[in-house]
Amino acid sequence: MLDLVAQSIISGIGVGAIYGLIGIGFCVIYNASGIVNFAQGAFVMLGGMLTQVAMTRFGLSLPLAALIAIVLVAACGVIFERVVVRPLWNRGSTMFVMILATLAAQIVIERVTQIVAGDQPRTLPVFTDRPPLKLLGFAINFQFLWILGCSAIVIVALALFFSSTKTGKAMRACSINREAAALQGIRVSRMLALAFALSAALGAFAGILITPTQYTAFNVGMPFAISGFIAAIVGGFGRPFGAFAGGILLGVAQALAIVFVGAAFKNIAALSILLLFLFVRPTGLLGSAK
Amino acid sequence: MNSLISIWADRRANWVTFALWGLATAFVAYVFVAGGYLITVLQFALIYTVLVTGLNVFMGFTGQVSFGHNAFAAIGGYSSAVLAATYGWEPLPAGLVGLAGSLIVAFIIGYPVLRLRGHYLAMATLAIGLIVYEVAVQWQSVTQGYMGISGIPPIGIGRWSIMSDRGLLAFLLLAAALALLSAAGIRRSRLGRAFVAAAGSEDAARALGIDVARYKLIAFMISAAYASIAGSLFAYTVGFVSPEVFGLQMVVLAFTMLYVGGLGTVTGPALGAIIISVLPESFRAFKDYQDLAYGAALIVILIYAPRGLASLPDLWGKWRRRTA
Amino acid sequence: MSLLRLDGITRRFGGLVAVDNVSLEIPAQHLSAIIGPNGAGKTTLFNMIAGFARPSAGRVHFDGDEITGLAPEAIARRGLIRTFQLVQLFEGLTVLENVKVGCHLHTRGGLLAALLPTRAARAEEALVESEARQLLAETNLEAQAETLAAALPYGQKRLLEITRALAARPRLLLLDEPAAGLNRQETDLLAALLRRIVDSGTAILLIEHDMSLVMNVADEIAVLDFGRLIARGKPDEVRRNSDVIAAYLGSAEVADA
Repeated sequence: MLDLVAQSIISGIGVGAIYGLIGIGFCVIYNASGIVNFAQGAFVMLGGMLTQVAMTRFGLSLPLAALIAIVLVAACGVIFERVVVRPLWNRGSTMFVMILATLAAQIVIERVTQIVAGDQPRTLPVFTDRPPLKLLGFAINFQFLWILGCSAIVIVALALFFSSTKTGKAMRACSINREAAALQGIRVSRMLALAFALSAALGAFAGILITPTQYTAFNVGMPFAISGFIAAIVGGFGRPFGAFAGGILLGVAQALAIVFVGAAFKNIAALSILLLFLFVRPTGLLGSAK
Repeated sequence: MNSLISIWADRRANWVTFALWGLATAFVAYVFVAGGYLITVLQFALIYTVLVTGLNVFMGFTGQVSFGHNAFAAIGGYSSAVLAATYGWEPLPAGLVGLAGSLIVAFIIGYPVLRLRGHYLAMATLAIGLIVYEVAVQWQSVTQGYMGISGIPPIGIGRWSIMSDRGLLAFLLLAAALALLSAAGIRRSRLGRAFVAAAGSEDAARALGIDVARYKLIAFMISAAYASIAGSLFAYTVGFVSPEVFGLQMVVLAFTMLYVGGLGTVTGPALGAIIISVLPESFRAFKDYQDLAYGAALIVILIYAPRGLASLPDLWGKWRRRTA
Repeated sequence: MSLLRLDGITRRFGGLVAVDNVSLEIPAQHLSAIIGPNGAGKTTLFNMIAGFARPSAGRVHFDGDEITGLAPEAIARRGLIRTFQLVQLFEGLTVLENVKVGCHLHTRGGLLAALLPTRAARAEEALVESEARQLLAETNLEAQAETLAAALPYGQKRLLEITRALAARPRLLLLDEPAAGLNRQETDLLAALLRRIVDSGTAILLIEHDMSLVMNVADEIAVLDFGRLIARGKPDEVRRNSDVIAAYLGSAEVADA
């Protein structure tokens, strides 16, 4: 039993890291613009789908296909920002209208994908085709190691970006006080586009990492978006690295729920955690967001 | 706040609204006479009128946000389905049980949820809708999961039930009319004023002795009741329920209708429901593209006409001034 | 017994003391004013009296009952009605409807009254309607009864807020900078209105920055500086008080008043 629990926790951490990456994406956009972007899930889905199409239709190698997919999805993020978010922003729409628009956009992207690519699920090959590693009596998938490794690199890169580069600091300035940042000569509209590009790229990256362990299809976006959002709330909305921690927590909690209560409760467990945090500690684990 | 300004547009019983009502009435009359597939479309529109009217009380009058009212429609719909189809209950008592269930759930979750604001409130209500969806899927012993429940008897009392399409249409017209009248009554009353005051300025409302938390809960429960009734009506009209029926699609659909009709207006929900139900019928050939069309249309509406039909007089006025 | 009594009211924000041990008694039938330079803690004090903020220390008594820390709606129910520094109208309602909301406290209709037109419900609505119209007539807003509150010019918005507050039949009216943004003529009309209100039996406590208004209408003035009460008394006494002058040092307002 203990073995099962420990094994669950390990796989939970893996999935949780994915949730965390998506959650970071939510935070980046929220920090830059104050809106919750529900199309985030679509970016996750597109990452996996585009990579798969690039590999099968165009015969590209996995790394190249992944890279192209991430760039394309980042571009999608910018287009989305320009076409949907910016007009609403300029008209001073309420936050609710923005959320609704991003939800509608999620549906549109999903349907377009379904129409273009059909509804057959696809998958990507595992990055390293070897039997699982045996560590301390537990089986650890290589994909899991890839997920953790890549997540760590991404997080370090993000941390460096936000703390040391001019653009990163400019983005942080925007999130703290947009008007003051604009007065300092920071091009806020560019920061917004960059935030969406970054967030979309993170989502796509997460999608590519997780697809080998399950599958991808036109409709996998929404559940990922919800999980990413829960991760962001649990970590403290607006704190990217808290979102990652929140994601891990969510992944583990879900895995444990499956072991102890049953697979049927996987989503209910996640949603209950969301409600719990919203009611009791909406500012998340790491305390006050904006 | 756009929604509150919509109430203004509603007060000016402007000719646009009259014209639309004229068209709607003509349409209803036509459907009665012509029959056929349009009856189903109109029935659908009327059921959604009830749902959206309730949503309007909570979101339009009281200025709150809910992404999860499909939960209450599901509770009403499934209660009716399970009790009437599986256990042979009379339709009316089954619907009432669903209504009671929805009110209880709304009361219990209302208190913690309504203390939230902005996107936290939006997310909490979305979570509730998703949880109920999950329960509908997973509680297979009762709900039959994805397969849904079919063979729900039509509405009626004892041995007398409404079997004909037109009879059902008339009944649903009555239900929608009652929904609209009651919403109008609420808006004009002390209760409605308290709702709109809470939406306008919570501080000022409290400074005048209005217990805003309590009134938000009342608005929430009222809208849950409408949603539950709509869910039951759906079950009895279509004869079939499934988790998908009360899923996210219902949320997006209801919002589109609410926005097109004009958030915060009294008659908006009905007009929005009819327009959104009828328009896609012209795209029936492109069945697959329907969701796509809804999504895209909603985005366009949100950007260019967030007050929905209430924007029409403004747009018309701008055009007149331009050509004058 | 005084209508409103503050005992040692204090408000701390971390290391900052916004209101420092203020003790004050406000009598009924009077127009009392609290003045002080910007940042003196006046609005914070109001918020604590009206229930919008909790005092860090001290008590508030209204008509003998303690109201410290009660919710704003509970305090309003006891007859203490406040207005806001930034006018808080119900923008989506008409002028008339705004005032009708003011009648909420002394009426009872709920969901049942909204749905079923019983005789009692209709009678109550008629009462509310006539009462609201009467109040609008008294403040010269009757012509705008059907206008959207959002469409009023600023001066009339302020007037509407006070009218609405009067609809709640207050025993003590708390006015937060009612003259802010008004021109000379509007301020004079406001002064006359305030005196009429007090003469008809409702006490007023107002915060003001406009010295001439305060000096003209107030029966009693309290002066706050850096959260502390530094002077108290009739307008003439306060005007000559050296501490007050020092607090407003450099301000032409005191000299003009």
